[in-house]
Order: sequence, then structure tokens, then C-alpha cells
Amino acid sequence: MAETFDIAVVGAGITGCAIARQLARFDLSICVVEAANDIALGASKANGGLVHAGYDPAPGTVKAQVNARGCELYGTWAQELGFLFCRTGSMVLGFSDEDRAQLEKLRSNGHANGVPELTIISPERIHELEPRASAKATCALWCPSTGFVDPFEVAIAALENAVANGVTFIRPAPVEAIEVAGGEATDRAAHFTLVTPAGDVRCHYLINAAGNGAANISHMAGAEEFQMVWRQGNIVVLDKEPRTLMPLYPVPTPVSKGVIVTGTVHGNTVITATAAVREPGDTQTYAADVNALLAGARKLVPDLDTRRVVRAFAGGRPVIQGTNDFFIGQSTVVPGLFQAAGIQSPGVASAPAIAERMEQVLREAGVALHERADWDPIRRAPDGFDRAPLARKEELIESDPAWGQIVCRCETVPEAEIVAAIRRRPGAVSVEGVKRRCRAGMGRCQSGFCQSRVVAILARELGCDPSEVLLENAGSWLVEGPLKGVR
Amino acid sequence: MATFDMRNERLEAGATEAVQTQAFDVVVIGGGPAGMAAALAAHKAGARVAIVEREQHLGGILRQCIHPGFGLSHFKQELTGPEYAQRFIDQVRATNIALFLDSMVLGIDSGESTEDATLHTVTLMNPSGMLQLTGRAVVLAMGCRERTRSEIKIPGSRPAGVFTAGLAQRYINIENLKPGSRAVILGSGDIGLIMARRCTLEGISVEGVYELMPYANGLRRNVKNCLDDFGIPLHLSTTVTRVIGHDRVEAVEVSQVDEHLAPIPGTERIVPCDTLLLSVGLIPENELSVAAGVELDPRTRCAVVDQSLQTGVPGIFACGNVLHVHDLADNVTNESERAGAAAAAWALGAVGTAAGVADAGCELTVSPAGIAGYALPGRITTVGLTKLNFRVRRPVDAARVRILADDEELFAGKVRPFKPSVMESFPLPAKAIQRALDLGVSEIVLSVDPVEEA
Repeated sequence: MAETFDIAVVGAGITGCAIARQLARFDLSICVVEAANDIALGASKANGGLVHAGYDPAPGTVKAQVNARGCELYGTWAQELGFLFCRTGSMVLGFSDEDRAQLEKLRSNGHANGVPELTIISPERIHELEPRASAKATCALWCPSTGFVDPFEVAIAALENAVANGVTFIRPAPVEAIEVAGGEATDRAAHFTLVTPAGDVRCHYLINAAGNGAANISHMAGAEEFQMVWRQGNIVVLDKEPRTLMPLYPVPTPVSKGVIVTGTVHGNTVITATAAVREPGDTQTYAADVNALLAGARKLVPDLDTRRVVRAFAGGRPVIQGTNDFFIGQSTVVPGLFQAAGIQSPGVASAPAIAERMEQVLREAGVALHERADWDPIRRAPDGFDRAPLARKEELIESDPAWGQIVCRCETVPEAEIVAAIRRRPGAVSVEGVKRRCRAGMGRCQSGFCQSRVVAILARELGCDPSEVLLENAGSWLVEGPLKGVR
Repeated sequence: MATFDMRNERLEAGATEAVQTQAFDVVVIGGGPAGMAAALAAHKAGARVAIVEREQHLGGILRQCIHPGFGLSHFKQELTGPEYAQRFIDQVRATNIALFLDSMVLGIDSGESTEDATLHTVTLMNPSGMLQLTGRAVVLAMGCRERTRSEIKIPGSRPAGVFTAGLAQRYINIENLKPGSRAVILGSGDIGLIMARRCTLEGISVEGVYELMPYANGLRRNVKNCLDDFGIPLHLSTTVTRVIGHDRVEAVEVSQVDEHLAPIPGTERIVPCDTLLLSVGLIPENELSVAAGVELDPRTRCAVVDQSLQTGVPGIFACGNVLHVHDLADNVTNESERAGAAAAAWALGAVGTAAGVADAGCELTVSPAGIAGYALPGRITTVGLTKLNFRVRRPVDAARVRILADDEELFAGKVRPFKPSVMESFPLPAKAIQRALDLGVSEIVLSVDPVEEA
């Protein structure tokens, strides 16, 4: 019979990965069970990468508590996990007296939520902080603690660190049913059995971090019936700029933060996000949404060249209908099941604090958490050729000529970096997985020049035929097979 | 609070290191048809020349263009892309032109101007390490890339099976792989037309070619040879309005568009397919040019050059598809030979030749007007016979090219039809330029104006 884990985390999004990493320090056997082929394939990949400071959730909500704390923790997390994090600060731009009144409200909200150093600033100061911000802005809320990350990188880094500390990653393993045994979760027999096509997974405690699938997991376990709404957002990525833009927000609406323009850790510009309730699972982009994004962005940054679109994508925010808040805690129906549900925006910003809170919740529920002596909090980031100093580049090429063999010209990614992305644990198993780990195919040509080379490298490394190489999940084949007459 | 600025970080990272350096007169970036022609012309003029090429082989995109249609004007003979390229590869191999293959240029640094000339440093990397090449002249010949789905904002899902036509061409012609079995092609540019035929020959069923504009964008001969001869339908004023399919393309939704190119509601039609090929335009790869300080025309995103194809940075020249998208490789060759010769003349300091040497007081800008989409060169600094290139934005049965200076007509071509698929070229007489100078203008206008037929 297969191992019974102390804890199974369902969902390898940023929330599940952060929780796994947080709990990996304890003397527990842990697995992360992911429905898709890779880490961060749900809401975690469909967002703008902003680490919001936490001035807009209503004071007293769970969101308000974990957002500001998460933002604060990002500095340490970035250092320990070796991911890129830029704390540039941000501005919410106001264009009228009504806007100014809204900014005042946001500021007092932020104050109540413990967000540091919020000030309302003049047009001169706006221009000083971000020369490209609209000259029509009459005031702004300046928030120095806002930052941005590459959300894939955060989730991948957290799970790599967890796996290095003994966590097991099981993928693709969509949970099809959950059997809950009678008795207490602390019994020696497994309390939960997750039925997946990859085999049954048994555990004593279950953590539901399934993002948009969280309501379904809770339902399968016979726990809370969350009523979820698929609040869909379209997002646009623009090509790199000589100078990275500071995040600029409009005054928020009741349901979303509005169309935000921000730089990214890689020097691109992101316009994020629309908000429309759509059919669950709809990740299509819509012409009207994309146009609304571009128009919204030009209001904040009038000189933005919105022709330079590198990518448009969409995803759904897992929103619990009615409360609009996160649900983090032990199920009141099924003991031993711990829920991190409704993790919509600001899920990226909150992830480290959600993990911290989940640890607290487990402790309070009586789960034995003994720190391991051999826990290593440090994850060494893979070498990124493009960002490496010249001397390091030379060293790398000297160590292996494949570091000098550029595959992705737009992002300057050599073959050795792609091979490393595939060989890491957990490694890339698809073309998009390679892209998320080392940016091959992420650039302006969108893999037009490098896709066939990446396919060849994946086929070689995974020991399969090019026709078996996937773009992302099962069924996303890229080439059918050899041409007629080719053996 | 420090602002995050990656560029500064990079420059600092690169500034302090000592890397091995090799000196040349002319460094050509790109080993496709443009780079090879420029290098050969510079070599012929007596310059020490280097070619830097990203791929393992010379030839650029011609290597995957296995169809015929190349060389008709340059060699008076119909060749395939690889055959056309091979003629230049053989010529380059017969010279002492230094080849840096598998080599990626990381940056071009232009030192301070001295009395002598500016020396440019090209930093490159390859599997043997990092290297710097210096040259008084640099020729930019990086070619172009294909416009992507994202740039034209096709809505819908993002499954596997959406390829630029060039990528599909690479899969088929270089990798011997079949990208799908049932394809829709968006865009009637030449690559799209060629791929419609290529797919058909490989047993991939082509459901149709869809074109946003009311006319075909590729050359007439390609519409005939690649679509008509194979019974592939061309749907004009129609575009893809949605990609359907979660993991692999399952269908596309196509819609007719109105005269403003907006989709007409109610005309949507679902076309089942597993592959969508995009042939929706080419974009010059000017990232390196911008990093080197070359000024681009904000509208065309191409380098502004003078009559010798010199950019705004002295000693940096541009030619081929990185400068403007050509219709025929033969034209790329001709233009690039001019750039190579001019670069050599600049590097060797040959005073008195037409190339690269400005006439005192001659500084004219050239702007497009009417239905001309662009005009090249954008600057004229010598009084001499000057070759002008342009393309029209829409087809017309009868139009005339005129060169205007302050409303005075300096030159007028004869009335004839124009098509956007053709890169037009005509010689502007020296006396027209002299006249503009006499009028004291700083700008001349290249206007293509439709005329009512008599």
C-alpha cells in the first residue's frame, strides 16, 4: 500500500506552494497534489504579478489581515527563495475632487490595515516618482510598500524549496473523489483518501488550496458548500521598456482595483485586469476587454505604445459569492480538512501570509508541528543568463558551451538554461513549463523562432518523440508526427 | 526609493569586464541575404569584414524557403531560397570575410567621436565564449520577425496549434514535422500563400485563407500559383474573431469585416480545424538598433536612414528587412550591396564617393503622403541621383508619384496602378533635390495620389 502522508495539499498554485513550503520545516510527510501538468496553472498564472500593499480590503476582513502581512513578508521570501521582487512603491492616481475623497478613504483604510507610510501627494511629486504618469492627475495616493513579482517564479521557487525539504509533488493528478474515514484525523489510519487517475493519495490532514477548484474539493469532502463566482479578468503584456514603470492604479471600483499599469521584474509592462462574471472555466480573451485595458492604461500612462502587445491572456478569480473574502481555517463540517478558499486578488500578495496563517490554524487545531533540524529555507535560483553579469556569463559558457548556444533570441535564453529548467525538481515537462521557468518563448516573437528548438530539447531530455511534447496539459500536442515518407 | 532599472544594471555589469577583441573595418550583423550581400560589397571595396550570425549556418530565413521564385532579377534565373542563399554563401566562403556563426550580438557600443571616426564595438557570445569586434562601420542586417497573434489581438482561448506561418514552415521544411492535419490560414501575405501550398502538398488540408483587407496582400503570382492552382479558397474582408479549443485548436470563428475592418455581428462562422497559421505581417527586428542609439521612425518602427542607408548614428548602416520589409529577396540583395559599399567607404574614409559623404547645406527630410505608407530614405544629405522606396497602403488602378517641396512639384511619375504587395522604387534626379535646396525647404514630400481616369 502506498504511503500515507501526514498532510496532502490540493493545488500547486501560489497558495498551495506557499503552504507546502511553510509546513516543510516541520517533521511531517507532505505531498502536493496538482490536477494540471505543472505549478501555477490556474489563477496564479493569470494575474499581473502585483504585490498589492493592502490598503483596499475592508478592515477586519481576512484579506485585510493577510494582504498587508504578505506584502511585508515578500522581502524575506524573495531573499530566501531567490526570486525576483521589486518593491518600487505605487501610486493610485486621482483626477478629480471626488477621486481625492476616495484616496483619503483608501489611506484611512490602509492605516487601519497596517499599511505603512501612505501619503497623498501633489502632481509635482507624482511626476518626480513616475515621469510617465498622466499629467492630468491632480493627486495620488503614494504607497511605498507596493511591489511586483513574477507569480510563476514565486510558486515554482516555493515548491522547489518544499520538494528539496522532502515534500512530494504529484502531477497531473486531478482529484476525482475524496473518501473521508470515520473517527479522528489523528488516528493511525488515513483519514482522507484522494482518488486520482495517478492513484489514490492517503493522508491524515487535507489542505484545500485548489483555487478555482476549491469549492469542488470542499464539496467532494462533504464540507462547506462554497458558492463560487468566476470573476474573469483579461490581462495584456507589452514589450520591454528602457525603464520599468512603477505600478499605477486608478481609483478602485467596488468589485476590482480597476485597470492597473505596472512594470514587471523582467522590464515588460503589464496592464491588469478587467473584471466580468463569466462561465466557470472561461479563460478566453475578449476583444472588448482587451480594448478596455488598452484604453484604461492610456489614461494612466498617455505615452504608452499599446501596439507592442506581447501577449494577452485571461483567467478567473476564485471569488466566494457574497463575502468576497478569503476563507482560511479548519472546516467546521469536516475536522482535519483545512481550507484556503476564495483566494482571489490579492492572492499573490497574500500568499506568504496565508501560509503563515495556515500554520497557525493547524497548530491551534492540535496538529503536532515539530521543527526539523535539517530544514533548509534557502532555494538557490537557477542561473539566469540574460541577467548575469558579463563575468558570470563567461564562466557559464566556459563550464558548458551549451550556455553559449542561444535558443530564445528575444529573451537571450541559452540551451543550457532550458535543460536546467527541465532537470530541476520539480522540472518543466512542457513548452509552457520551460517558458515559465526560464522565459524561452516569453518574448516579443512569442516562440516563433525558438518553439521548434524547445520541442527538440524537451523530446531529448524527456526521452520522447516530438509528437509527444506538449504545449501545456494533456492534449496540447504541437506536432502530429513526421511528414509523409519521413522515417 | 531606488527605481528598478534593468538597463543600467546590465550596462554596469558589462562595463568593467575585459573581453578579447578583434578589429575589422565593417562588422555586419546578420548572415541572411542582406548581411551576405552587404559583406560581399564591403569586401569588394577593400574592407576587412566580419559577419555575425545567430544560426549555425549562413542564409537566414532563405534556408527554409524551399519554394522557387528567387533570383529572377538578380541572377536572371529562377532559384529556390536555399539555392539563392548558396550562391552568396559560396561567394562569402571564397573570401577572407570572418564568420562568427552561432553567435548572438548582445550589444553595440559606439565610443566617443574622435577626429578620426567613431569606433563601434560589437559584443557577441557563442559557445566558445564572449568576444568583442570593433569596426568603424556596422551594418545592421538582422531581418524581421513575424507579427504574432497577440499583436493583432485575436480573442479566444490559447491552445496549441496556433503558429506563425514561418514557424510552421520551419517545422515542415527544416524539422520534417507535420504541425497538424487541418489548417486555416489567416493573412494572404506571401508566406501565408506559400504555406497554403506547402501544407496541401504535405497532406494537410487547408480549409481556406482568410484576409482582413478587401484584397490579397501577397504577390499576384503567389495567389495564382499557391491558391488558385490548388483550389484553396481566399476569403477577403474576413478575419478570425475567436480561437476555440482548450488544449489543441478545435476550430476558429471567422467573421466578415466592414469598411472600417470591424467584424460584422451576425456573420460569424465556425471553421473546424486543428491548426491556425498566421501570416499577418513582418516586423523589423530593431531591438539591437534601438539599444545602439539608432533613431527609429515612430510610425514605421524602422531606422531613419539617409541615401547611403546610414542611420542617425554615424557609421551604423541598415539594410534588408530590418530597414523595411521587402517583397523580393533580390531587392534585399541590391539594397544591401549599396549599404555594404557605403559602409566600406565610410570605414576606409574614401572621400569623394557619393556614399556617406554629406554635401554642405544639404539636409532634407522625406515624408510620405497620400497613400504612400512610408518613404525611404527619410533623409537626403547629398545632391545626387537618389533611389527612393515606398509602398502604397491600398491598391489603386491609377495613381501618380509626386515629389513636392512647399507645394511645388519637383518630380512627377506617370499614372499607373499600384499594389501594397509591391515595394516600389524610383530614382529621384539630382536636379529635383537641388531645386528643393534652392527653395530653402527642409522637407520634401513623397506623395502617391490616386487620379481619376480620363
